[in-house]
Amino acid sequence: MTTLTQHTSTAPGKSIIEKLNVFTALALGVISAVVVWRLSLAFLPQDGEEVRLFSREDKITLLSMCAWFVGFMTGIGALVGPMRWVMGKDLAHDENMFLAGENMGPKRYFRYTTDHKVVGIQYLFITILIFFLGGGLAMLIRTNLGTPEGGWLHAQAYNSIVGTHGILMIVGTIIMVTGPFGNFIMPIMIGARDMAFPRLNALSFWLIVAAAVPLIWGQFIGGITTGWSAYNPLAGQAPLGMDGYIMYICIFAISTMVAGANITTTVVKMRAKGMTWNRTPIFIYGTVASVALALPAFPVFFLSQVLSAFDRALDTSFYNTAGGGSGWLYENLFWIMGHPEVYVILIPAVAALMEMAPVFTRRPLFSFNIAVLGIAGISGLSVLVWAHHMYISGWAPLLNAPFMLTTELISIPTGMLFLVLIGTLWRGRIWMTMPLMSIFALLWNFMIGGVTGIYLSDVPADAFLHGSMYVTAHFHYTLMGAGLTGALASLVYWFPKMTGRMFDKTLSWIAFWMVQIGFNVAFIGMFMVGLAGQPRRVESYAPTFNTANLVTTIGAYTIMIGMLVLLHGVISSARNGVKAPKNPWQAKTLEWTVDYPIPLENFDVLPVVTTDPYGYGKAKS
Amino acid sequence: MTDLMTPKTPQWWKKSDVKKTFILWIICTAVIGYVGVEFHVRNMVDPASETMSSVISLMRIFTWAAAPVAGLVSAMSLTVLTSKRHYGDNPPAEADHEIRNSPKTAAVWVVVSGLLCLFALVGGLVVLQHDNEAILDSKAIQVNVTGQQWVWNFDYANGARSEDLYLPVDKPVVFHITSVDVKHSFWVVQMGIKMDANPGYITETAVTPNKIGVFDVRCAELCGLLHAYMQTKVHVVSQADYDAWLNAHAAMEAGA
Repeated sequence: MTTLTQHTSTAPGKSIIEKLNVFTALALGVISAVVVWRLSLAFLPQDGEEVRLFSREDKITLLSMCAWFVGFMTGIGALVGPMRWVMGKDLAHDENMFLAGENMGPKRYFRYTTDHKVVGIQYLFITILIFFLGGGLAMLIRTNLGTPEGGWLHAQAYNSIVGTHGILMIVGTIIMVTGPFGNFIMPIMIGARDMAFPRLNALSFWLIVAAAVPLIWGQFIGGITTGWSAYNPLAGQAPLGMDGYIMYICIFAISTMVAGANITTTVVKMRAKGMTWNRTPIFIYGTVASVALALPAFPVFFLSQVLSAFDRALDTSFYNTAGGGSGWLYENLFWIMGHPEVYVILIPAVAALMEMAPVFTRRPLFSFNIAVLGIAGISGLSVLVWAHHMYISGWAPLLNAPFMLTTELISIPTGMLFLVLIGTLWRGRIWMTMPLMSIFALLWNFMIGGVTGIYLSDVPADAFLHGSMYVTAHFHYTLMGAGLTGALASLVYWFPKMTGRMFDKTLSWIAFWMVQIGFNVAFIGMFMVGLAGQPRRVESYAPTFNTANLVTTIGAYTIMIGMLVLLHGVISSARNGVKAPKNPWQAKTLEWTVDYPIPLENFDVLPVVTTDPYGYGKAKS
Repeated sequence: MTDLMTPKTPQWWKKSDVKKTFILWIICTAVIGYVGVEFHVRNMVDPASETMSSVISLMRIFTWAAAPVAGLVSAMSLTVLTSKRHYGDNPPAEADHEIRNSPKTAAVWVVVSGLLCLFALVGGLVVLQHDNEAILDSKAIQVNVTGQQWVWNFDYANGARSEDLYLPVDKPVVFHITSVDVKHSFWVVQMGIKMDANPGYITETAVTPNKIGVFDVRCAELCGLLHAYMQTKVHVVSQADYDAWLNAHAAMEAGA
């Protein structure tokens, strides 16, 4: 700190790093977008006669969005380090300390701060924001579906809300565990001072902020009317809002790749002395499996959207059958990302609950090896199952049987995760807390999600169920019933370490029961209309489906109230909750050995690990 | 001090929590199996074809196959939840054991889930094979299905064209499905068949309706603004009614 003050006092004015923050980023982003928009309006040639709809407008929109992206990232300071490096220099030590947010106070949350704890809090904030927006859109959908005839929302607006809800929630659930807890908790848990690449860490967060703007922008130029999967050729004829989706996905994919490389490297290279793979907590395995799966998946997603942009703006025909392409190409690219992606969401949430299970039952984790094997098995198989989303697409009927095999094989490693959780609960000392009950909730929800998944994996049954509300209910049971349950438990469990205060117990229980009961009511109703024959993504339906839809809507409102209670709990507990002791749950992982507030580099002396963190039970007490 | 003084630990199956779990397992399996099957069968539409009937029996079989596993997880959860619970801000005492794994349990678990998986696969393949053979039936009625935003068109071999589908009862029919604009999905709800309509490609599916009546055709793939309204009816009628309708429509098309 002293060196920094000397530096600033001697230098005339502030250095470039100190001037940049989120406000300069917003300003530069907006200015770049407007300038490029005006320039491209003035200089881009008009389309010829034979060009399809929107081509010139697409070019203008995409160029302006790219300009926003470059402007924002420059304005936040993402390019300072690389530019120095190109000039043959590197950041000085005090500049790095400044970037880490040393002694800066709350301002560090609005800058390109590299400290993993700051990034973790930033991720937590943006996850809550995404769930707030995505949840609000879900409420609009459910309100519209409260009556059979629809019409309360315009059909175009309804389609756009469905698509935006989908992609917001997918992104929200991808980052909900590995973002806040993977960044804040994981490095401390493995006994590291920070991530392997702190600047990449900041980059991964600010890319998500940069990505959000094209998505919101897209809402005002026609919306995302294609559902979150944005199938071509429908996406090709969708309004300009589709370009917002394309930019959003491309930027988010970069963020995920950056975060994946960073987290993987950190875990492989920076674990504390003595933390062999046998002694590494299971949550670390879950986080690494998740981001490592994202590494092959998201480049493909990025590519699929780049080709989509080419088709729209440059009049190519990658997905246009008449021009020699194929919509099936898009479906393949999309689901090669899309199926690993659901396990990107699920694995860290389940692994977090596995981490909590021994703590709240005061006994060792049951079958650590099976847990690792299960996580590895799911990760390995999940890249081989994508075409089960395409059983009835007609793409390759002969491949249905092999894909049915790989899909059903996944139930074996998934069963291993059940074995580990239920085995850990068995004959433990049950400590009734919200995270513990979340394990039971996960077992229940994931069981329903898993068994319905077996029906869907079966080709003849899928020929009836595909594209119906049954599928919607099924994946909400896995991503929300299992994934979100794990994330909410993680929030309550690690809240004391992140804020220094305990999460209000009563509020956590109220939120837990409202969310779980509302969730089961809502999605059991959705299973019913799916079985009765209601397609997905419809804004009106036959009157016979009304009762079950109304039940779903009531359940959805219950979830909303529960989530608002939880939000209130986060805010009130962070402001004036009970001060937390260093290790409120008497857990044995490393993050509970550091005091709050956690010093900038976590540990004065790096810890040495001699056992695994699950030494609970008779002999150890 | 000696073996005589240590109380004998009962065999594992005689422990009280195991007995309790065993009874709960039987109950949970029965409840989950019964409720699961009834939930699916009651909510599903009445079948109007053999294909749909076999989907329903597949779901019935799969539910009963999954019920013992789900029942075991539920039974163990209930046993744990009804055991002594600790409330409070400080942790309870440590558990009275430190069991870290049980290779036998894990092995049994993996083998059983492997067998169930194999069972599901074989069951699915048998039905799938049956469905696939139907497409090759050369005596079947051939209907061309064309999806476009946001109606279905049906073309018959004798030149008839309609927006409502007419089919004779108990005769196999093969659909050749395509689209003129974006992707749609041709779903005959009560017959349990669905196949995407892709622009530029022809996909096929087959069914034999076995019930006279009016059933639903819905689009099952988001296809733009009026996707929700892209539905029509399929009229399954007797052979005589079908022939009359077909000839009248063919004449209409020829006259038009």
